Amino acid sequence: MSELRERYRAFDDHRYSGVAKGALGFGLLAVLPQLIAVSVAGVSIDQWVSVKILVLTLIFAFSAQAWNIMSGYTGQFSFGHAAFFGIGAYATQALLATYGLNPWIGMLVGGLLAAVYGLFVGVLCFRYNLKGHYFALATLAFAELLRVVVQNTSELNGANGYYKPFARDYASGPGLAAFQFQTDLPYYYVILAFLIIVTAVAWAIRNSWIGLYFFSIREDEDAAASVGVPTNRYKIYGVVISAFFTAWAGAFWSMYYNTIQPSTVFDLFLNVRLLLPAVVGGPGTLIGPIIGSFFVTPVSEVLRTTFDQVNGLSHVVYGLVLILIVLYSPKGIVNWPARFRALLGRTEEDDD
Amino acid sequence: MIPAFGAVLLPLSMLSRFVDPFSAILRDVLGLNPVLLQLVAFALLLGGVYALTALGLTMIFGVMDVINFAHGIFLVVGMYTTLVVTTTFGVNPFLAIGVAVVVLFVLGVVMHLSIIEPILDAPDQNQLIVTLGALFVIQSVIEIGFGPDPQSIGFKAGTLEVAGVFIPNGRLYALALAILAMVVVWAFLQYTDLGREIRGTANNRIGAQYVGINVTRINYLTFGIGAALAGLAGGSVALFNRFDPFSGSTYLINAFVIVVLGGLGSFPGAFLGGMIIGFLQVFGSYYLPGTTYQILIFLLFIGTLLVKPEGIFGGESA
Repeated sequence: MSELRERYRAFDDHRYSGVAKGALGFGLLAVLPQLIAVSVAGVSIDQWVSVKILVLTLIFAFSAQAWNIMSGYTGQFSFGHAAFFGIGAYATQALLATYGLNPWIGMLVGGLLAAVYGLFVGVLCFRYNLKGHYFALATLAFAELLRVVVQNTSELNGANGYYKPFARDYASGPGLAAFQFQTDLPYYYVILAFLIIVTAVAWAIRNSWIGLYFFSIREDEDAAASVGVPTNRYKIYGVVISAFFTAWAGAFWSMYYNTIQPSTVFDLFLNVRLLLPAVVGGPGTLIGPIIGSFFVTPVSEVLRTTFDQVNGLSHVVYGLVLILIVLYSPKGIVNWPARFRALLGRTEEDDD
Repeated sequence: MIPAFGAVLLPLSMLSRFVDPFSAILRDVLGLNPVLLQLVAFALLLGGVYALTALGLTMIFGVMDVINFAHGIFLVVGMYTTLVVTTTFGVNPFLAIGVAVVVLFVLGVVMHLSIIEPILDAPDQNQLIVTLGALFVIQSVIEIGFGPDPQSIGFKAGTLEVAGVFIPNGRLYALALAILAMVVVWAFLQYTDLGREIRGTANNRIGAQYVGINVTRINYLTFGIGAALAGLAGGSVALFNRFDPFSGSTYLINAFVIVVLGGLGSFPGAFLGGMIIGFLQVFGSYYLPGTTYQILIFLLFIGTLLVKPEGIFGGESA
């Protein structure tokens, strides 16, 4: 037993162990839709958790991973990621509906537009040295601003938004090229691929000097600046990368659900839903956003469908979960094993 | 090619939408259009209620450095308390507002002791999430108890006419309550020992502790007073408006804007900021198409955050 643990330790210290663990984790996610249908003694998980819920879970895991690159790593708490999400959704749908532009290209255009908006927000906020509450409120205002602008722009269909066109209107039919499928399962694999990409990017950032700069800014910005880290420039890099990927989440959302409206894709509370898994799972960690989303999203969805006769009951539980997590586990779920070990009397505190 | 052309046309067409209203205002001002007086009256009435809403928020921020996302839902609790007390006990709406103030004070103190105090020293985002969680819980409890449909306390106050300007009495009472509350709170902070302790804590928490002020007690009292002010604002709004469990978010956003505009923690700032937003909303919704006036409000908000984040009255504290 102890020999096994030693061998695991040796493996754990290896620089590619992360890749192996990632492959294992994502492999598990890849077979998850099949796993939930497996019935054990007449009971299977898909009675409560459908592929639809899994897709939604991965959307928010993805968005939280993107948010984490900026806010978890650099410590600049963004409360306005709905701005980037909405830009992605609108760029994809508006270009598709107006010019028949393929949604994959629309998604990349949306990503670039969101990155430019992120650059704009970042340059303004950091130029004027906004921090803490003020920065959070400013990002929220930049998102709300987009909502009212789009709502009042008839060229973007105002408050009505867009209805996703039929696949045959701009492609040969449903499929990967059209970014439209007739069942939920292909959508699941598309968002899983997105999640793998953004996680790989986050992993690469963590393991490079960029990540080192990011974390130094989070820990002590003045100290980082004093040893020569160009803090403002790196904070802006964080915003731009994060914005680019968050727009993908919006683009995917707009193709998975049929309609988008300013009141949904720029919604005030969407700002929260996008970042929540990262905070619940463990801000600043690689696996936190994914674990967090598997904790938060299915719970809220299952609650919503289970208690659908009493409107709002699911939100009571949702709110309580939020409060309890932040009060009793501010480092997130990823810290639970370490806390559990500490509880058993072991002294290996596993920070970060 | 064509998308690029559209991208240029879009801002241009939007620009004209912003220019036209200003010429309309100019015409009305030069022509001494009586509608202006009516608009000013409405703006003052609305601004007063907004100022009252922002007052509680700014106090909580000034003293504890906490951004309270549940502030909007406090207003809604005030509205429903007023509704329940007037309809079930058949009492005078003004008495019901008094009950709402007490209920909200208790709710504020309980909420502070249970979930705010433990995380006062935690990172900023934890406060946002905890107060947001409280917002979800309270809002849903109201929704379960009263249903999602709009309600009204059915208070018929009539209308006053002064020099051709129509003033709904409900709004007038609300403004009177707002001004009264502001004067009372100001005097309380200025002239009582407790008020001085609150101001001292807002100024310098650690210093306050050194001179023997019980900062924990100040914290929960401030949170209670802040919530009570929201309850008063909510009760006042219920005098003239319909409301539902989700009415809080508009007031919350506006309160944030006002508080930042006036200076986080500043008392006169909350009043002036409330008036500015009142005028922007009333004049904006009259002269600008749709809800375009909200764009102006957010631009003003962002502009203030960037250029002078400490607000118009920045530096002074409650």
